[in-house]
Amino acid sequence: MADLEIKDLHVRTEDREILRGVDLEINRGEIHALMGPNGSGKSTLANTLLGHPAYEITEGSITFKGEDITGAEPHERAKAGLFLAFQYPVSIPGVSVANFLRMAINAKREDPIQVKEFRTQLQHAVELLDVDRAFTSRHLNDGFSGGEKKRAEILQMAMLAPDVAILDETDSGLDIDALRTVAEGVQRLHDEQGLGALIITHYQRILHYVKPEFVHILMDGRIVLEGGVELVERLEREGYDQIRQEVGAGPTGALASGDGSV
Amino acid sequence: MALGSPANGAAPAQPKAGRHRESTLYQALAGAGAGDGRTLAQLREAALRAFESSELPVWRRSGFWTTSLETIDLDALQTGAGPEASGGERAAVPDVVSRTLPDRARAGRLVQNVNTVVEVELDPTLAERGVILCSLQDAFRDHLDLVSPWYSKRLTIDRHKLEAANAAFWSAGAFLYVPPGVVVEDPFEIVYAIDRPGVAQYARTLVIGAPTSEFRVHEYDLAEDFDSEPDGKRQALHAGAFELYLQDGARCRLAQVQDWGSGEVFDVSSRFVGVGRDAYCHWLPALLGGHLVRQHLELAVSEPGGDMAFRGIFFAEEHEHLDVFAVDLHETGPSGGDVHWRGAASGESRASFEGLIEIDPGAQQTHTYLQIHSMMLSPKARIDAIPSVLVSSDDVSASHGGTVGELDEAAIFYMQTRGLDRPAAVRIIVEGFFEPLVAELQDEALEEVVRKKVAGKLAAAREDIEAYATSR
Ligand SMILES: Nc1ncnc2c1ncn2[C@@H]1O[C@H](COP(=O)(O)OP(=O)(O)OP(=O)(O)O)[C@@H](O)[C@H]1O
Ligand SMILES: [Mg+2]
Repeated sequence: MADLEIKDLHVRTEDREILRGVDLEINRGEIHALMGPNGSGKSTLANTLLGHPAYEITEGSITFKGEDITGAEPHERAKAGLFLAFQYPVSIPGVSVANFLRMAINAKREDPIQVKEFRTQLQHAVELLDVDRAFTSRHLNDGFSGGEKKRAEILQMAMLAPDVAILDETDSGLDIDALRTVAEGVQRLHDEQGLGALIITHYQRILHYVKPEFVHILMDGRIVLEGGVELVERLEREGYDQIRQEVGAGPTGALASGDGSV
Repeated sequence: MALGSPANGAAPAQPKAGRHRESTLYQALAGAGAGDGRTLAQLREAALRAFESSELPVWRRSGFWTTSLETIDLDALQTGAGPEASGGERAAVPDVVSRTLPDRARAGRLVQNVNTVVEVELDPTLAERGVILCSLQDAFRDHLDLVSPWYSKRLTIDRHKLEAANAAFWSAGAFLYVPPGVVVEDPFEIVYAIDRPGVAQYARTLVIGAPTSEFRVHEYDLAEDFDSEPDGKRQALHAGAFELYLQDGARCRLAQVQDWGSGEVFDVSSRFVGVGRDAYCHWLPALLGGHLVRQHLELAVSEPGGDMAFRGIFFAEEHEHLDVFAVDLHETGPSGGDVHWRGAASGESRASFEGLIEIDPGAQQTHTYLQIHSMMLSPKARIDAIPSVLVSSDDVSASHGGTVGELDEAAIFYMQTRGLDRPAAVRIIVEGFFEPLVAELQDEALEEVVRKKVAGKLAAAREDIEAYATSR
């Protein structure tokens, strides 16, 4: 059984169904890329995996490390080892990055982390993400630039050391140097700690630095095509329309995965 | 000796009653100063007549809120005053005081329980330098020359029944005098405590900062919880009158921590802070609980060059009712003002805040700003905030702003994905909401008291906040 198993996931918001039967398996140590046009449901999948209350699961299940977490509270999923780097991180005024991280780390532990240990870990993460130490005394995401927010997401990921992380367009809004830093950081966490990742992106460039073994294409709420890195190149060449035609996906199209839902 | 003939400092106040529409509308703005040459006995007598002839007050802002005292049983409340009370078992400092006040260095401390002063303590080196901290009653005996120019100089005695009751019946009270040029780092603590239900406490404070003095005043208003008392026997009243006058170049940081606990404590208080020439006051009331609380607060820049920061925090919970009327008054210019309040409400509580910037004719070159931010923590809680501006000068700037918020669900989800549960996330948001003002206290021990109280209220509202989330 895979570490993270998503089976026939159907998700809706108040007004409509967004995910229409998603199957996906991710293990620790594996890097996956998830691509798909705007509005295809990528963020919805990411948020649903962490238990966002706006998304209702009408069918299917999510299993993590053998436990059914389909209905679990978001913080329980996080404690179990899931992480989401947000596409649009919100600001938390009044609490510094460092204090927030200390609270988050302590939430996972029985005894609060020793000051010294915390400092060492923070120093590591700060170096990995190539940010100024003073960065960690600023209020979390409050007045951060787009790039700073994305770095702060990966900094938190480095500190919280999840088993599987979902990175929702962490690459967008980053200049080329920042992109390299962030992507190499992810790769290192993968190499050193065995991080498993689902990297949601529109672009090939991040995949120059983090090498996915598996690529999935999401369209209209379904995974319509799966393969290796060669899929990414094909996408850049041909665009989504070509693929859409081929797999017959559309607002009402048939499925690649073929399990006929109504 | 007659009261209210100022020996020095601010010029006598002009009578102001009835000058504004608001004052007739709901008896809000200050009337004429009471200290108009009458003796204390004459003032008490006038106040007694006002007490006997007036009804319990109602404050109304139509369409928004009504603050009514109809449920208080005034006749059933004892004053528990007099010398017989001071010798008995009641003379101890109540537990709630030792539980709440921080263990810290202080310049002095005065504790009044119900209507008896049970502790006065003043750093002897300060006493040598002329600092006075004693009951107001004793001050009238021992320091009449210092007290009389200022006593009730800007407070009224007859706007409503409880104001009159205070002026007529107060017996102990607090008096603090900081002589010219004396700079004191540690705070003076003035404590009003109510250790039992069934009593009416009349609190009367007079603080004078002589020219170029610098000091801090921390007032605590506290009551035991009365949890063991049956319903209907848990009432108590605190009717307070507080005045602080800062003379030329004096600087004061004034903070007030008020939490009347879970008993049925009514608090109806008037406070006046007068800022003299080139003087400065940073005033931060933290109103953190009471069955029904009505606070009329005025911070007046009375002479040129005066400056102030008027801050405030409130947190209403359960069925509490809070009504704050805060006035940023500029009687002369140039002057500066900066009003910034933050409040939260949980349970079925009601909080109403009216902030008024008032700039008198001739107060040219006044610059002031008022902002009020509020946060609702439950669907049944309600906060109304009304800023208003009354400007009678042209070369001034006065503006206001604010926000009304609910908990930011996106921020909560964000924190949950980091492993924090919902109550922890809510706590971080609400503490972060108050933090800019708490940090302004610039006194670690006091900041901790306020943070702890806020955290306690959030813990108590846990279920409520949980239900709020699922209801949406
Ligand atoms: N909370 C919500 N309420 C209503 N509709 C939503 C909600 N979240 C997403 N949607 C809708 O669901 C669809 C999928 O949105 P989602 O954000 O998952 O797309 P995406 O693949 O991440 O797109 P992008 O590439 O632009 O980030 C869109 O049509 C969006 O408007
Ligand atoms: Mg998205």
